[in-house]
Amino acid sequence: MGNLTAQLGSLATLMFSGLFFATSGSLAEDAGNLYNTNFDINAGLRYFERQCSRCHGFDAKGNDETGAPDLTGRLTRASSEVGIFNIIRTGIPGTAMLPAASDLPDAQVWQLVAYISSLSTDPANIDLPGSVANGARLFTNKGACDSCHMIGGQGGRQGPDLSRAGERRSPEELLSDILNPHTDVAPRWWTMRVTDKNGVVREGLRMNEDSFSLRIMDDDANLWSYPKNQIASFERIEASTMPSYTQTLSDSEVDDLVAYLFSLRKES
Amino acid sequence: MNRFPLLLTSIFLTLPLQAQEDEFQTVITPAFSPVTWERLVNAESEPENWMMYSGTLDSQRYSRLDQINTNNVTELEMKWSYQIPVIDRAETVPTVVDGIMFITEAPSNLTAVDARTGRVYWRYDHELPEDLRICCGRNNRGVAILGETLFMSTLDAHLVAIDARTGNVLWDVEVADYEAGYSKTAAPLIVKDKVVTGIAGGEFGIRGFIDAYDPVTGELEWRTYAIPGPGEPGNDSWSGDSWKTGGAATWITGSYDPDLNLIYWGTGNPGPDWNGDVRLGDNLYSDSALALNGDTGEIAWHFQFTPHDVHDYDSIQVPILADIEYQGSTRKVMMWANRNAFFYTIDRETGEFLEGEAYASQTWAQGLDPNGRPIRVPGMAPTYEGILVSPPIVGATNWYSPGYSQQTGLFYVTSFDGEQEFFKRDEDYEEGERFTGGGGRYNQPMDAFHSSIRAINPATAEIEWEFPIMPRSSAGITTTAGGIVFTGSADGYFFALDAASGEELWHISLGARVHAAPMTYAIDGQQFVTIASGNVVYTFGLKND
Repeated sequence: MGNLTAQLGSLATLMFSGLFFATSGSLAEDAGNLYNTNFDINAGLRYFERQCSRCHGFDAKGNDETGAPDLTGRLTRASSEVGIFNIIRTGIPGTAMLPAASDLPDAQVWQLVAYISSLSTDPANIDLPGSVANGARLFTNKGACDSCHMIGGQGGRQGPDLSRAGERRSPEELLSDILNPHTDVAPRWWTMRVTDKNGVVREGLRMNEDSFSLRIMDDDANLWSYPKNQIASFERIEASTMPSYTQTLSDSEVDDLVAYLFSLRKES
Repeated sequence: MNRFPLLLTSIFLTLPLQAQEDEFQTVITPAFSPVTWERLVNAESEPENWMMYSGTLDSQRYSRLDQINTNNVTELEMKWSYQIPVIDRAETVPTVVDGIMFITEAPSNLTAVDARTGRVYWRYDHELPEDLRICCGRNNRGVAILGETLFMSTLDAHLVAIDARTGNVLWDVEVADYEAGYSKTAAPLIVKDKVVTGIAGGEFGIRGFIDAYDPVTGELEWRTYAIPGPGEPGNDSWSGDSWKTGGAATWITGSYDPDLNLIYWGTGNPGPDWNGDVRLGDNLYSDSALALNGDTGEIAWHFQFTPHDVHDYDSIQVPILADIEYQGSTRKVMMWANRNAFFYTIDRETGEFLEGEAYASQTWAQGLDPNGRPIRVPGMAPTYEGILVSPPIVGATNWYSPGYSQQTGLFYVTSFDGEQEFFKRDEDYEEGERFTGGGGRYNQPMDAFHSSIRAINPATAEIEWEFPIMPRSSAGITTTAGGIVFTGSADGYFFALDAASGEELWHISLGARVHAAPMTYAIDGQQFVTIASGNVVYTFGLKND
């Protein structure tokens, strides 16, 4: 892991040095943002915290209640920095996304664009130590990741589909996912243990739980739905069903796996 | 005054269903009669109508209608739905007068529909500027009505008077400058011959106030600032000039006691929200209940729930007024489950604190002192690095209406047990810009927290029962003489609980988050109950066969 950690440190330095933006995307679009230094990103962060965080969250991860999207991964409404700029400038008609104040200088909007761009990781700027090809082999062979995860329609159902894992997770997060899978488990991957009124116990992944019912998928991928008022009890297990690979894979193998998973995105 | 609908309701509520069924064959549109102040004062006695945001001036949200009750609520079926054409969330509580329903819509529109069918009579689209300053969504929560005129707040901080028969604009006045961060989302409250209304914008360094307008001309009759000016009592509770940008928005509808001639209105957080360093002192009257003279707006008393708030614990909850048995005598009280996680019972004649206890998870206060003032836990103010505090910014409850049942004597609130990291930031005030001084971040997924409907005994402040639902509900509550508590949930359910026991009686999945409070009314002897979910307004009634 030492290699990757060092690389990630370098990556952070690279991103915040501004080189990150100077080399990303198409030339025509990048010519738009001249405000992409570390100073600009921090200025954008300050503006974001003040003006945007109420809806998008202080961590920019969005808010289901307000409908404000997560800005830390792939953006659904903008594919370039110019696109982000335009949304900030004009808002999204018919939604709570209002335009920035008309007297806000373009320079400040670009600083905000720089900050938002810094939240996602452009693979073109990252040179990971692992081998994508080796990682792909590990995924199906030694790691047996495909027993639970699908990629491109192939694999198991007991974990998240990883076909576009690189769009959602940074290399750092992927590394943590592999080594410490219990750290940050999305509620969709919690386990529910349900005891019905006949004493029959079923356990499965928490497909969905609401105020009056819950749905699980058991180990055989059977789907079960229960009205809460017709079961004896249920228990949530807020841990991951995934094992840690600390003891299973070597440091370099984990690097390979991270490189492979980070390479998985729509265009690949 | 045409009281025909009231008579019909009185008769048909006592008849067997078969007789009612015959009546449903008619398609006569009920006559719409002017809503006098007398009708509003006595709104409880014409439960077929829901004539103001909280149903009655005491804001109990308790309806005497009992056709739908604990025995038959499982027989509810959908009667109609109305799709709001603007895709946004609906926080509206419709108003119904004599068979006409008035529905406010995002961003600041109003529609009149036939309350029997949901079909439109007219709609009013308010023209808005493109550079609005709003903190938290494009919301509108309802209208007030007096005579034949509807009064609506708009996001550009206007108050608009609209003809209830046609939707025509009678007058449109600017309450405050939207470019300075002022906005309006709440239903006004009619108090005698005035339209009383608050203001939003507490995240923009505004100075909050409560206004009263002439319903005919739209002229301002009085304005009471929620932050005292220089020379006024309480101004010295703000360091320096911080009172000028201190917030204390008044963004939810208040209540009124005709006997005491007192208006009760909540005030919001001091600004900047999360950095109290620049506004040392108690910051009166932020996070307070204000009792105002019904004629002059003069402050009769105040009760500050959270002095020098640094967690955004707005106290804009709807005040519920009731006369309850308390320690051997009948007391005129005001009940209040606050965003700060404490429930309060207060003497509404004097403002005296009677009872108070935490009703939800909280870590910021050790408790309340004998005067109801919180005893703070040291070191819970937001920091630059972040500090975990419960309740989170959204609070243990918020703006969504609580309810009270005259049958059970219990107070009902949608509560949230959660926590959040609070951050402090340094910001200078700039007119029209956000002025919050920080923010918050959840460090667990929302599903790890808990919401519930809690029933509280106001005489003891103790929780009598609770019904768990998924977090984080922002639905209001309505109670009925049928022994029911109606409310909704964040996961799109509309449901009924037994008001006495909290047992689940009925639920239906509406498929989209409920941000609104239910209301109930009747036409020709049939009781309906209405709730907005997503951007749809649904109306239910008992099956006719």
